Amino acid sequence: MTVAKIKTKVEQELADQFAHVSGKLPGDASVKGARQAAIDTFDAQGLPHRHIEEWKYTDLRAIVKEALPLNVGDASAITIADVIVALGPLQTIDAQRVVLVNGAYRKELSSTEAQSGVTITPLSEALARGPVTAKGFGAGEAAPADDAVLALNAAYMTDGAVVEVATGTEVERPIIIAHVRAGGEAGFTAARHVLRVGANATVTVVEAFVSLPGAAVAGQMNTASEVDVGDGAHVDHIKVAVDTGAVTHLASWIGRLGKDSAYHGYHHTQGVGLARNQMFVTFDGEGAEVDLSGSYLGRGKEHVDNTLVVDHAVPHGTSRELFKCVLDDNARGIFQGKVIVQQIAQKTDGKQMAQALMLSPDTEFDSKPELEIYADDVLCGHGSTVAELDEGLMFYCRARGIPEDQARSLLVQSFIGEAIEVVEHEQVRGAITAYAEQWLEERAARSS
Amino acid sequence: MLEIKNLHARIEEDKKEILKGINLTIPTGEVHAIMGPNGSGKSTLAYILAGRDDYEVTEGDILWNGESILEMNPEERAIAGVFLAFQYPMEIPGVAGLTFLRTAVNAVRKKRGKEEFTTPEFLKVVKGRAASLKINMEMLKRPVNVGFSGGEKKRSEILQMAMLEPTLCVLDETDSGLDIDALRIVADGVNALRGPDRAMCVITHYQRLLEYIVPDKVHVLAHGKIQKTGGKELAHELEKSGYAEFEAA
Repeated sequence: MTVAKIKTKVEQELADQFAHVSGKLPGDASVKGARQAAIDTFDAQGLPHRHIEEWKYTDLRAIVKEALPLNVGDASAITIADVIVALGPLQTIDAQRVVLVNGAYRKELSSTEAQSGVTITPLSEALARGPVTAKGFGAGEAAPADDAVLALNAAYMTDGAVVEVATGTEVERPIIIAHVRAGGEAGFTAARHVLRVGANATVTVVEAFVSLPGAAVAGQMNTASEVDVGDGAHVDHIKVAVDTGAVTHLASWIGRLGKDSAYHGYHHTQGVGLARNQMFVTFDGEGAEVDLSGSYLGRGKEHVDNTLVVDHAVPHGTSRELFKCVLDDNARGIFQGKVIVQQIAQKTDGKQMAQALMLSPDTEFDSKPELEIYADDVLCGHGSTVAELDEGLMFYCRARGIPEDQARSLLVQSFIGEAIEVVEHEQVRGAITAYAEQWLEERAARSS
Repeated sequence: MLEIKNLHARIEEDKKEILKGINLTIPTGEVHAIMGPNGSGKSTLAYILAGRDDYEVTEGDILWNGESILEMNPEERAIAGVFLAFQYPMEIPGVAGLTFLRTAVNAVRKKRGKEEFTTPEFLKVVKGRAASLKINMEMLKRPVNVGFSGGEKKRSEILQMAMLEPTLCVLDETDSGLDIDALRIVADGVNALRGPDRAMCVITHYQRLLEYIVPDKVHVLAHGKIQKTGGKELAHELEKSGYAEFEAA
């Protein structure tokens, strides 16, 4: 028996909007077919809600009240100087830039350099030739096929970056994919990036989510990144979401690791009204190493959910996760970490830690570590802590003449710094630290 | 001059009285040792001097250069010249030693009406003082005290002391956990800071430290009170006879 599902207003709007805009979306006939299949998947699921275990703490059906109009193409009068302002501390990174304004690739604002072995193509252009995915997905993929957020992305994606790094290529300067939100009209942006990194290649990719002064307070972002890490390759993938406002930010990362490869993913989130960072990583070759870590600074009524699924599908894999959140006012932090160790995945080494520092009594931190272990010769562990600032440490700092508010900032930096230290690229690490310092300065200014 | 007058104090949480009427004067320019058995209130006295709020002063007063410091918070006392070298220096992960030191030094200099150090000035001063304590700059680039040995932690305390230029130095069990070489380096560092403008209060259980930091006076603290005061030879007597006489009191 089929039960007719009652759609919420937003779910109906999302379906209706697709019917209106699908003709304008990039892609050949097969892409169009895939988009239709994706919206059908979304239609069958609806928005994720609290009765779905993975979405227990982030009930999108209750939170998302309206479907904003999709941003398709963009002609905002924006200069490179504007982009630099929007990038804040990230502007100090010596990097190549791929700039998307309201989800649309803007060549004249981007500055990529020619290097043999590296190609960067706008997704909109690539889709004209057919569907674009990172290779190797399918069997064993950790992302659920019916994930409604991913389905919405696949249906609506307008643009993004397709980055291909050839075997053995070392990409010297990091590639920043900058999402700039601009203009007074609140809209919905759907972007997708695909990173194909060949065997023994090395690359650092930074996804930045920023907004220009004067951008609408509200906004909706659905972004997905597929990452294929070739055998022996090393990928640093960092996301800095500092798009301040009543923004709903949904980000999905799907990664596949080849033999002896390394994938270091990092999420820094601050100032975003609601964020869900979901990461799905599959070990596809033996001896690979993954680090998924992140930092989150929350205040007001902000809500940030970091959810990850790591699938050890082969033996001799190493995974590390360290997530730290600092919660002030009524902010809420969520961490869900599922580590699956398949029966054949012997000698897996997995460690996970989630920690929250509460600066106000009205914050909430929900932590749900899950280990699903089917192999018997593994080393796996997880931990979770919630704490207030250590009084003994406060006294130590103050006894050195450091005023109370400055001592508090220093100790928050100490706490969050342990996560930020995971980021290998020094300038990227410095930029994230600078963002965290900004947050602390704003906090001190508010309380004085 | 430090004057402690009839100081009574208890633990805030359980109201247990630890100090039961301490009277003690340390003139500027002198080094006094406070010795005593475990649990006599030595560390409590050190914390109260530095302003830790886990303790409540119920009677008496502490005057530094004629002014009561009891109403001052820890940072105000630091600015007034009080420095406590901790028995167990704290670890601060994620904050480089140099950052911590510079934050503290400039906070204090600013409040004392001095120019804040620029980065080059600061580094120059630190380098010199660190070298005499056999601390290399690499160690200071690491997070504060994280992964340091007992000796490294104590040396880093003395470096902080030298950088903050206090006028009242309180050293709480600075010799604990030190081997003889480390003890010598630390003692040399402390002795270098001795001077006519500075008072020092050296708290220790053992006489050993006082061979290197020779005190002008020795006080025996037991049961929350100063039980006996004498010259440096008192430390030697205690080494022979132990604290039994006072513990029985």
